[in-house]
Amino acid sequence: MATKFRYPTGTRPLLIEETARRRRIESRFVTLLEEAGFAEVVLPIIDFAEPYAGISGRSAKQSYRFTDRDGELVAVRSDFTPMVARALAPSLDDDNLPLRVFYRGDVIRCEATRLGVNRELFQIGAELVGDASPEADLEMLQLAATIATVFCDDPLVVYTGGPRIDDPRFVQHEEESDAGYYTGVRFWVYGDDRRTPLAQGGRYDSLYERFGASAPAIGFTFTVDGLDELAAGSSQLAGEPRGELAGGRSQLTGEPRGVSPESCELRAES
Amino acid sequence: MRIAIPKGRLQSDVLGTFASAGYDVPTESDLRTRKLVFHRGGIEWIFVKDCDVPVYVEHGAADAGIAGLDQILEHECTAYQALELPYGRCRMMLIGAPGAPPLVNNAKIATKYPRVARHWLDSRAIHAELVPLGGSVELAAVLGLTSHVIDLVETGETVRVHKLELRECIAEVTPRLIVSKSFFRTNNAEVRRLIARLQQSIEQSIGETVNESIIA
Repeated sequence: MATKFRYPTGTRPLLIEETARRRRIESRFVTLLEEAGFAEVVLPIIDFAEPYAGISGRSAKQSYRFTDRDGELVAVRSDFTPMVARALAPSLDDDNLPLRVFYRGDVIRCEATRLGVNRELFQIGAELVGDASPEADLEMLQLAATIATVFCDDPLVVYTGGPRIDDPRFVQHEEESDAGYYTGVRFWVYGDDRRTPLAQGGRYDSLYERFGASAPAIGFTFTVDGLDELAAGSSQLAGEPRGELAGGRSQLTGEPRGVSPESCELRAES
Repeated sequence: MRIAIPKGRLQSDVLGTFASAGYDVPTESDLRTRKLVFHRGGIEWIFVKDCDVPVYVEHGAADAGIAGLDQILEHECTAYQALELPYGRCRMMLIGAPGAPPLVNNAKIATKYPRVARHWLDSRAIHAELVPLGGSVELAAVLGLTSHVIDLVETGETVRVHKLELRECIAEVTPRLIVSKSFFRTNNAEVRRLIARLQQSIEQSIGETVNESIIA
């Protein structure tokens, strides 16, 4: 049984200590988002692939897909944003716009080439639907920066397009890259190490149209696994599945880990 | 800034380009110490196997590096390709064993680049079995392990010596400066300076080569 002692690449359980940490981080997010006027929605972990066909972006290529018993092609959630659009679109009207929602949960991505990158990612994100104004852009960029401040000392938001922001935490920048479904401002929130974005987001004003509602929208997504690591003071490469002994022992005993240099060593060892 | 330099074939040319761009690069005697990491002139130079440069840069373990297009494609590296270097040019080619038939379905192809090969075969709608090898790939065709190989051809000498047949060019391969997307976003001015200095150094070296050939 070669699989008895390991998990599929990029996945792992969180034991007691790490789970407690995850939940603490989550509750910080929920508090901040609710204070900012966002309400939570819950989305299914699988959905039919067909409604999302042709949406540009990397998620389709990276999703795990299978055929269900009725022969329908089903995909495991790999990107929240299109799912939020599909879920909200039928109930949007002038009375409830603009709408502020947030979501949390796992996405699963088959990132074959990216060794050491988690395939199961815990994400928390927010969407502002029905407001195309520069003020909406600004609101979401600032909210993302505010949240990042909770998890690092000196966040940096790099953005393309959008309004000019007079704040040293925001850097406007030109970049040509595959924009996927984004149609306006795009941004990345970096933590103190400036290496892996803690969050990314942008404006997608045509995404809701394909689900039957013409509403502009802007949103961002934090990958919480990254915050875990950042708070633990270890590098992004520590995201690799760890040895059971090193990771497991400290989690089970509840030995304080994360901020002490010892726990960094524990991680680095494995 | 941490820059990944590919060990081996391109190493001295690459260091030459950085040196003539005014960078304080590790010297020959530094490199003889077998150390792989050097701090010089505010830059951390790391020396890694050529095929690993895109991996380091992709993951942000290096901020920039020099990598061949072959390795960039094989690793599906998403880092920015900022500059092409004027040396180390070669072609990734489909090569046939002596007298091999045209490439048809169910052919066997040996290669160091299974991912690039698969993409190319898919684009031609050819089903072939890939035999991944680590090196001396031509030998697979010479010894009849496979009817074809996909590999880099620089001068074509190996191909001639073994009487292999060049069939088709899959990609023109050049070494490139690659820059991590995150580093490009968060240290934009520094990256632009690096690109500008290397660009100037490359243009000068091209100018010199032209002059030499005129004199010759």
